[in-house]
Amino acid sequence: MAEIRIKNLHKEFGTGQDKVVALENVNLEITGHSFVSIVGPSGCGKSTLLNILTGIETPTNGTVDITSDGHVAAPGYVFQAARLLPWRTVTDNLLFVQEDRSDSTKQRCQRYLEMVQLGDKGDKFPGELSGGMQQRVGIARAFSIEPDVLFMDEPFSHLDAITARALRRELHHMWDETKKMVVFVTHDVGEAVELSNRILVFAKGGSLEDDIQIDLPFPRDPADDEVAVAKAHVLRKFEELDLLAS
Amino acid sequence: MTDTATDTTAEAPQTPRVTEEELARKARRTELTSRWFWRILSYIVVLAVWEFALLDIFGFLRGTPLDPKLLPGPSEVVATFFEIWGEGTMPAAFQATLTRIAIGFGLSFLIGAMIGILMQSKWFEGFFKDAVLISLSAPGLIWVLITAIIFGNRPLGPTIAIILTTFALVTVNVSEGIKALPKELIDMAKSFQVGTFKRNRQIVIPHLAPYLFTGLRFGFSIAWKVTVLTEVFSSSEGIGFEMRISAVLFDMSEFLTWILAFFFFALFLEKVVLEAIERRYFRWRQAVTAS
Ligand SMILES: Nc1ncnc2c1ncn2[C@@H]1O[C@H](COP(=O)(O)OP(=O)(O)OP(=O)(O)O)[C@@H](O)[C@H]1O
Ligand SMILES: [Mg+2]
Repeated sequence: MAEIRIKNLHKEFGTGQDKVVALENVNLEITGHSFVSIVGPSGCGKSTLLNILTGIETPTNGTVDITSDGHVAAPGYVFQAARLLPWRTVTDNLLFVQEDRSDSTKQRCQRYLEMVQLGDKGDKFPGELSGGMQQRVGIARAFSIEPDVLFMDEPFSHLDAITARALRRELHHMWDETKKMVVFVTHDVGEAVELSNRILVFAKGGSLEDDIQIDLPFPRDPADDEVAVAKAHVLRKFEELDLLAS
Repeated sequence: MTDTATDTTAEAPQTPRVTEEELARKARRTELTSRWFWRILSYIVVLAVWEFALLDIFGFLRGTPLDPKLLPGPSEVVATFFEIWGEGTMPAAFQATLTRIAIGFGLSFLIGAMIGILMQSKWFEGFFKDAVLISLSAPGLIWVLITAIIFGNRPLGPTIAIILTTFALVTVNVSEGIKALPKELIDMAKSFQVGTFKRNRQIVIPHLAPYLFTGLRFGFSIAWKVTVLTEVFSSSEGIGFEMRISAVLFDMSEFLTWILAFFFFALFLEKVVLEAIERRYFRWRQAVTAS
């Protein structure tokens, strides 16, 4: 079981006049088989939080710990932009993040490419794919290492509605089956309510303003009354926090 | 005829992808053909003008015939080419010149790349900035003359002339490549716990390769000209030296032969060797520009 512990996390960029506070005194614990969505207006530090959790950025103050059964957890990261190596084929992009190149590893990569409907595109270069296809390769790459914690930064926002829906279902299945932890950033409150059992609301300035539990059974149909009520509840929180205008 | 016509129309809706690919291939073929057509035409025009000059058209216009000793015809030059080739002078001359280029430009590439890396620091940037600028803008002939005066026909002369004329091209490209390092890809690799060695091998080096290649390509084309020039002024072997000898002896046919050999070799390197390397290693870039 993975655990994330964040204590007094503070992050600022730049100094003096250019100083930007991206995260302000965040305290947070996520444990076990959670699907946590992070919502909030643009610039409230969502990507920065994921970057700190995955070791790309270091905190200005405070500590973060990510463990899985006592050892350091292996994170998988789906970025806001695909971030593929343009000089490697799709398959090689997946193999790049693997620990070995054994046959079973290659088969696993192929399986996840098929999951995102790109099973026949392994030999293509990223430049030969559409933007949505590239984003799907990024998703397959994160899945393919079968991480302890999966971090996703608005992974479906560039995709068409049908593909996004299929992948949402796929993501839910994976989370359900593997009992892994998912930390999911999104702009879309409906998407957050459909997928998560916990929603964190961040405000401008990078403070954690609300922590909402959603204990509805899966699968959740947006047309369902209870789901609609939950969505309305989150949106009301947004209104109270005056987040909708920004 | 009718059969194939109905065939394609019947098949088109079922296999649109094949038809599309075929159309694209056809378009590519037409484009290639027309490009080669214009390229070859340029050679025909040049040869024709050369031939006409001998047919005394110009002589007729000027009132005096053109002395074929001053401008021997294409066929005579080709004959001379094989004559010189048979004597074994040509491979030896090429070997001498190419060895000089390999040593000079090899050193220049290393020095240029090193300065490019050093220039990432503010202090070294200040230190080297003007030297790079001067090397880029001063005509190569200056260095050729200076080194010829100082070193005479000692081998150090051409080497230094090549370094002074080409190192900056490598420096500028390496420096630009380092400045444009893809931080977002390196961050991605870090988050997936990819080690430093693998990151360098699979991100940094492939990213820098096109920059190095550009430096190599432009640097080489200058190194090549500068080397021949140094040989014209001060040397006892090599292509430039042979040119000087035939010029001094007033043997135009031989002089033109050397120029042609030089020209074809440069063309071969550029069009066959360098382009093959580019096709082989930078296929992904064609994919990027095509989409
Ligand atoms: N590397 C950086 N250097 C300077 N400022 C940065 C850097 N990264 C982020 N910031 C700043 O930190 C703040 C939070 O940025 P972040 O990317 O985390 O926002 P976000 O919530 O992900 O926004 P969005 O929804 O638009 O993706 C912004 O004000 C941004 O300008
Ligand atoms: Mg973001």
